Parts: sequence; structure tokens; C-alpha cells
Amino acid sequence: MAPQDDGRPDPDALLASTARSGRGHLKIFLGAAPGVGKTWEMLDAAHAKRLKNIDVVAGIIETHGRAGTLAKTEGLEMLPRRALPYRGQTLEEFDLDSALARHPQLLLVDELAHTNAPGMRHAKRWQDVQEILEAGIDVWSTVNVQHLESLNDQVARITGIRVTETIPDTVLDMADEIELIDLPPAELRARLQEGHIYRPDVAARALKEFFREGNLGALREIALRRAAQRIDKDVTQYMRLRAIPGPWPVTERVMALVGADASAGNVVRHAARLAEALRAPLTAFHIERGGDDARTQAALDLAVQLGGNVVTQSATDLVRAVLEYAGQHNFTHIVMGRQPARRWRPGRRLAEALTRQSAAFSLHFVPLPAAPAPRPAHARHKTELEPYLLSGALLGVVTIIGVAADKYVPQEAMGLIFTGIIAAMASRSGRNAGLFTAFFAFLLWNFCFLPPVYTFSVSDPRDVVALLVFLLVGLLTGQLAGRVRQEAGSAAARVEALRRISLFGQRFTRAATMSDVLASAAEEAAAIAGAGALLLHGPSGLRVEAAQPPGTALEEAALAAAEWCFAHGVETGIGTSTLPSVPWRFLPLGGNAGCIGVLGVKPAAILSPPQAQTLTALAGQTALAAERAQLSVHNARAEAHQDSQKLRNALLSSLSHDLRTPLTSIRGAAETLAQAGTALDEATRADLLASITQDTARMTKFLANIMDMARVESGGLNVRRERLRLEEIVESAVARVTGALYTRVNIAPNAANVLADPALLEQVLVNLLDNAVKYAPPGSHIRISSAREGGLVRISVADAGVGIAPGELEAVFDSFFRARRGDSVAPGTGLGLAIAKAFTEAMGGQIRAQSPRNDLPADGMPGTVIHVELPAA
Amino acid sequence: MISGRILVVDDEPQIHRFLAPALAAAGYEPLRAETGTQALRLAASTAPDLVLLDLGLPDIDGQEVLRKLRAFSDVPVIVLSARDREAEKIAALDSGADDYVEKPFALGELLARIRTALRRKSQTQPASSALEFCGLQLDTSKAMLNGESLALTKREHALLLLLMRNLGRVLTHRQILTAIWGPAHTEDVAYLRVYIGQLRRKLGAELSGKLKTEPGVGYRLEE
Repeated sequence: MAPQDDGRPDPDALLASTARSGRGHLKIFLGAAPGVGKTWEMLDAAHAKRLKNIDVVAGIIETHGRAGTLAKTEGLEMLPRRALPYRGQTLEEFDLDSALARHPQLLLVDELAHTNAPGMRHAKRWQDVQEILEAGIDVWSTVNVQHLESLNDQVARITGIRVTETIPDTVLDMADEIELIDLPPAELRARLQEGHIYRPDVAARALKEFFREGNLGALREIALRRAAQRIDKDVTQYMRLRAIPGPWPVTERVMALVGADASAGNVVRHAARLAEALRAPLTAFHIERGGDDARTQAALDLAVQLGGNVVTQSATDLVRAVLEYAGQHNFTHIVMGRQPARRWRPGRRLAEALTRQSAAFSLHFVPLPAAPAPRPAHARHKTELEPYLLSGALLGVVTIIGVAADKYVPQEAMGLIFTGIIAAMASRSGRNAGLFTAFFAFLLWNFCFLPPVYTFSVSDPRDVVALLVFLLVGLLTGQLAGRVRQEAGSAAARVEALRRISLFGQRFTRAATMSDVLASAAEEAAAIAGAGALLLHGPSGLRVEAAQPPGTALEEAALAAAEWCFAHGVETGIGTSTLPSVPWRFLPLGGNAGCIGVLGVKPAAILSPPQAQTLTALAGQTALAAERAQLSVHNARAEAHQDSQKLRNALLSSLSHDLRTPLTSIRGAAETLAQAGTALDEATRADLLASITQDTARMTKFLANIMDMARVESGGLNVRRERLRLEEIVESAVARVTGALYTRVNIAPNAANVLADPALLEQVLVNLLDNAVKYAPPGSHIRISSAREGGLVRISVADAGVGIAPGELEAVFDSFFRARRGDSVAPGTGLGLAIAKAFTEAMGGQIRAQSPRNDLPADGMPGTVIHVELPAA
Repeated sequence: MISGRILVVDDEPQIHRFLAPALAAAGYEPLRAETGTQALRLAASTAPDLVLLDLGLPDIDGQEVLRKLRAFSDVPVIVLSARDREAEKIAALDSGADDYVEKPFALGELLARIRTALRRKSQTQPASSALEFCGLQLDTSKAMLNGESLALTKREHALLLLLMRNLGRVLTHRQILTAIWGPAHTEDVAYLRVYIGQLRRKLGAELSGKLKTEPGVGYRLEE
């Protein structure tokens, strides 16, 4: 933390305090050992709160059958426990969901370090508590100091007992208040002897083991020190919040070297304690060498839990990589595991080389773990027999050939052939196979080729030397070839990961739509995890949007894990601490605008670090690509909206024009008549009156059109279909259209009758004639004709007007098409053709426009024909 | 008896049908144009005393016609427009139209506007800069209302002078702002509202009733 010269509060500290303000308040009752009375004290304090009318509920209280504690629970509301069947027995667990539903002011949750039964939402109870706090409920809880992750080793070394139920130190730091429940060791032992804590038989054993006076004293000291450290931290926080200047060391940095051995966890814990004491940042540094097992991953995860960050590199020269990174990043402390004194371990070389070369660093060696941590079951490799059988077979065949061709092959050559086989086996199947081959070849060579043949004794002293040299060379070759193979494997995995990452970059730039992006992402995820993968996405609950292989479905539990991942933005499922029993792994798709969905994979095996990293990169890129796709959809929608806005404006202006023009004319004519009536001659007066009548008719027609369109659009059109004589309908239509004076009608005898609705067909023809009159030059002819086309009759209305541009032949039938050209064209509603089309289609016919007409001279106006096709009758 | 030639530009025959006898009865000689091209040709060849211009023309846009017309003539132009084309009205006034009437219009109002426009045209710019209107006497330096001295700020004075010089005519916000506040303030309509409000308070009931707001367009001092 840099010094705050300007005397302003440190923003990080302020942020931390505001992040807490919406959450519940956490108080932890910290004890040195079981039986000091944490639960009792908590219940006591809870009763006091209850008397102050605070809504206190006991979420879970572990009484361990202690009568005093049980009595204390009386009068407190207890939440029912959730019963879970587990391997034939029933486990009772804290019911998180009912606690959230009950939502008291203060919830008591005993035993913070408890591990939940499989199938619960979280692996650990402290994670339940975290969720409750986030819901704004205050929580009181209890924990013993030996459960603290970073003190785990220390406590194990003192007491000889390793506690498996641990909580990260950050949980203790999360507490707003810590109450240390202190009881002098002698008193605790006395309570134990009196049977307050365990049954007498258990108590007697406990007194000799865990509850030895020395143990208790040490634990008490640890607890006191931890509580004091916490107070120190509170003071520091207080000073930073209020910008009290002080010496904030910024120069220290701690690096934990995490290798693939049992001490990795210890190294991290020690480094974390060191970092804490120095108030220095912690980095866990790991060199990938292939064959990294789950312990390494666990140690790296631990480092993250303890507030550090993780750096993984691939390198052949360990020492150089460590020194380079530490030098570049100003590390001052390097913590590493003390290696067992084995000659061929590179770790020893690393320790020595670091000691020799690192003048700038303090080196810390962490002792080997006191009690070896149980190796996680799933990490154990099944020993495959195949390489050993192959090795034996190869050596056997070569030996038989060698023995048979004894005369031609000198026994020294056999040694070289064997060495070749060792190298081949080691690089094919790894170090162990190489070493096995080396040893077996050593025996075979000795037995079959070195005189005296077929005994394990050697006659020539020079052969003894040769034999030893062979063994040495064989072992070395096996070892080296094996390591080369491992490194090649890890390098290949890295290259593969990088190749994949660059590949989805390319794929996503090509994927234009959301579904493309999701489908690509699902495919990539399946390719990485080597098993079915799919993608969920959406604001209205999660939904499977794309899956590979297609059709993959999620079971209930997996869906819950996905929801959790989406809601909290954390990875869930297998290999994580949330719902680890689900066989899926879910990664949140976090973009700039928050989490938009989750990516899920169903890995066949535990994900390797490069695989996990590739998945993380995939999730990131998917989120970005999906966001981009969403944005382009939004843009398209905005454009469409703008277009429809434009159309609406045009429509309004067209309506306004069509109503205003006849209104103006009617009003003007009427006022002219009224004001200047006597000054006008008879003819003018008659003309003005006629004009009023015509414009009134125009407005009536306009209203009728609007009503027709409204009828079509509301679906309230009743269509009769009857046999009609075309001639009659055309005649009455022509009569209705003023101006359709020069109409030529030509009806073919075989196309005289149609099956249609008389009123609708007449309206169609009226509208087409209106349209023709509007665009035809004065004095030109309008032609109506009919022709037979199979089972259809085609009625054509042709004018010699301005025609229609080729691109607009379809658009002319849109409502208010005319409107788009503004009000600068001939008056009309712009609805006529749209209505003609709607009516024709309602009668089961078709309508289309043709322009230019092919029967007009090419130098004149192109003209337009509208064809209506209806079933013949 | 003919008091002026009026060119009516509209593509709607129905409009001509009643305007021609109405204008003739009011003592004008109506000229008829149905397209922009025709209108420009007639305006150039017959030199009408006033133009009634519809903005929606089949060949050239009315605004364009107005701009072309203004290139060779300062004949008064009254725009016939629809109420929903506020922006077009303003654009037309800004490019030199003298007034506008909304369709459908009252014949009496149209004739009154025509008279105003023609009178303003016939008035030569006053040689002395003193103006008189409804008991208000104004010159470039002082203002008198009903014989009493009227205290105006410099800006109010300039605003009143501008309105009086354009008596009966609509001035758009932009025109007023450009004339008084300068071209940098053509969008600051709020200034104008404040000053018009102050002027109305100082001018008294009768005069401030004649200072009309043309909603969304500008102001007009009515005769």
C-alpha cells in the first residue's frame, strides 16, 4: 500500500468497508480447543439479544450431547435440520434455504469449519454462512483455532493430529467482530474430568492425547496470537480509513515455490503466514513439468484462498525461471519446501542453486509435513501393465535373437542395443517404464551374455565395470528420456491450449449472430474438455442455447449449479468448492454488461491446468463475442425502429395531406360563395358548388378506404364466393369511377365468369381504375381485359401513365407506399392498391403489377398493367 | 380596379378552383401554376405582386422554388402549409417567405395576410428611422408610449424596433436571434422568451395583445 501523501483516506479501504455495508454482520466466537465454551457463550449472548427484541434464530447448534449447552437452547427458535440420505444412513445438515426464507435478524450457525454432506449446495458450512451474510442476515458462529487453514500445519505439529475440516483465513478476516473464548488449560482439563465435555471413557483418553496440558497451552497461545493479529489488522484498517499516516511497508514481496510434491501445501501456508506478518503480497509460483497432480492444483487453489495470486510458467531451467521472475517482480522472500535428501531429485539442485545465486532474496525452507496429508484418491494413477509387458517382450525377443546369433553379435553390441531399448521405452511410456527396462536389461545382459553365461556371476573384473557403467547409463538414459517426454507433453499441451485460444479468436470474429457464437463456443468447449459441452444463456432464466453433442440435456442438480454460477459469477461444479458433486463444470460468461450466461463442460477426467486455462479464455472470448452479437442485434432493431418511425411520419403526413386538401377546398369554396357570392357569375358559382360536392365525395371515399383497410387488418372480412359475370362487375366499377371515361373493356368469351365475392371484386376494380386514372395522362385510354389461364381468369387493368420503377413493382401494394414519396404526387390515400391486394388474396386470388406495358410504343410513357388472377367459374 | 397580380402555386386543381374566383372577387388578378418550374417561369415573366406557394409540388420541392425565386425577386411570398410541418414552415420563413397560412385556412384571413404583405411592399423604408404604431413612438435612441417616456434596455429596444419594422410579418426565432444576439446564438430561444415577456409587461395590455406568439415558429407584431 503506497503512502497517502495527500491525507485522503485510502480508496481500497473505503471500498472494503462499503462492500460490507449491505451485508450482514459476522461475529465469530474463537476458541483454542473443543470444550472451552464457545457454543455456550454464543447462546448466552443470543438470549441477551432476544430480550432486546432482536429476532434471533438458531440455524444449527451442535450440542455434542452436553447437557449445559442443551439447556441453553431452550427458549430459542430452532430451525429444523435438513435430512439427507447418505450411504444408507441419514445425515442431518443445516438447512440453508429455510434459513434464507425465514430471514431473521440474527442467525446462529455453530461449527463454522463443518464440511457439508455431499449433495448440499456448498462443500463447506462457511460458504453457507457467506451466502446468508450476502442476504443481509447477521450471523454468529463458532470456530476453533486449529481449523484455520494457515495454522493447520502448526497445530498438527504441536498436537500430532491433522484436522481435515479447515476454513480459509479470509473467512476469519471477513468477520466484523471476533470474541475470543478463553479458558485456562487447567480449568479446561478440570471440566473434561468432570465429564462436562465428553463421556468419561472418551474423556480419559482425550486427557492423555489432545487435551494434554502442553497442547492446550500451545493452542491457547496460538489463538491469543491470532486474535491479537486480528486486532492489529483492525487498527491498521482504521488508520488507513482515516488516512492516518504511518509506515506502510511496500518493499516486501513473498514468493511461494510450489512443486509437485507433498510439501506444496505447507509451502503455501507458510508463505501466507510470512506475507501476513510482513504485510506483503503473496505469489505462488509454479513451474509446469508435466505430471502435475491434484496436490499441486490444491496448493495453488490454497494460495488463492489465502489471498495470493498464482503464476504458472513452463520452463526447463527451474533456477533461471525462478530467479528471473523473482528479480523482475522485486520479490524479497522465496519460500520453498525442504526436499528429502534424495540424490536424483532436481529439487535439491534447485535449493542449492538458489542459495548460491540469490543474493537479493531471503530464502525460507519449510519442513516436510508432520503427518503426510492423505493423497487424494482420484489423483492416484492406475498402474498400467502394458508398457512393462511391452518392455519385457522387446528385451526377450532381442535377447533370443542375440543368443541365437551369438557368433555374429559381440556382447558389447548387445549393451548398446539394450540402451537403445531403454531410451525408447522411457520416451514412449515415461520414466518408470524406462527405469524398469534399464534394470531388466541389466539382469538379462548379465545373465545371458556376460561370461560365465546363464549365471548372475561375472568372471572378468572388466565386465563388472562394464556392467556397472551399463546400469548407470541405462538408469540415466531412462530418467532423462522420461523427463524429456514429460516436458514435451506439457509443452504440447501448452501449444495446444494457445492454438485453441487463437482459434476461437478467429472463429468468433467470423460468427456474426448470437446462435453462431454459442454453437462455436459449445463445439470448442467440447473439443477442450473431451466430452459433451453446452452453453446456457439468457435473462429469463437459464436455457440451453447450444450443445455439443447436440441434444445434451442437464439434470436438475447440474442446472442448479449453473444457476449458482450465473447468479454469483463463480465457477461451480466438479473440481470447485461449490456443488462439487455435479459432474459438470460451469464458468460464468462475464462481459462488460455483467454476466450474460454460463459455459458448461462435462469433463471425462479432472481438468488439467492448461485445459482449465483454455476454458477460462474460451469463456472470456465467448462473453465478448456474445456481447458483440447482442449489440449488433440491438443496432439492427434500432434501425428497424427508425425505419418504422420514418414510415409512421410519412403516413401521418400523407393522411394529413389527404384530409386537408379537400377540407381546404370545401372551406375555400364555401367562403368564396358566402363572401363574394353576388360578384361571381352563374357558371363560377355552379363550379364552386360542384367542387364542394366532389371534394366531399373524395373525403367519403378516403374514409371508406380507411375503413376497408381496418376491416382487413382486424380480420373481419366476410368473403362470399359465387359465380359472377365479369362484365357486370366491370360495368358497375367503371360507373363508380369518375374520370374513367375512356375505358375500353375487352372480355374474352372463355374468361367471362369468375368465382369471387361481388362487393370485394367491384372494390378491387374501382381501386385499380382510380389508380389508373390518377397516373394516366388526360385523354389516354384505360384498358380492362380478361384472359383464361388454365383454371384461372386473369383480369388486367392497363394505363398509359408514368409506370412503376422495376424495384417497386411489389412495394406499390404496401399500405401508404405513395406516402414514402412525400405529398408531391397525385392525391390519393395510398391505400387503394393495398386494399386491392388484400381483397384479392382474401378471395383466393393473386395480384401483381407489370411495367412497362409491352403493347405501347417505346418512345411514350411506359404505362402500367395490374393483373388480378381469380379462379374461373 | 385590379390591385395586384397574385401567382398561386399549387398542384391541387381544387385549390385553384376556388382561389381564382375568390381572389378575382377581392380585386386581384390570379395567375395559376401547378408545378415549381411553371411557377418560376411565371414569376420571372409576369412579375407578380405576391406569390401564394404550396410546399408540396410534384417536380421541385417548394423550399427549392423559394430559394430560386429569391435569387431574382423580392416579391412577397405567403406559404400555404400544413400544421404538422413546423420545421418546413420555419425553413420557408428562414429562406425568405414573408408569412404562412395553415391549410385549411379561412378565406378572410388569407385575404388579410395578402393585404398586409402587399402594403408592406408598397411602403418604402421610412427615411427617418422614427416609427409610430398604436401610440408607440420609436426611433433608434428612445421610445415613447402614449406621450410618456418608456424605459427599455438596449436589447428590448432593438427587439421592439425589429418587430415594428416588420409589422404584421412573422419573424422566426432564428431571424430575431441572428439580428439581435448574433449568429452564435441562433438556437438560444430561451433568451427570446425572457425578452418578449419583459416587453409585453412594459408595453401594456393593448400592445402586448398585438405581440403574437407563433407557436414553435417565432413572433409577429400584428397590425
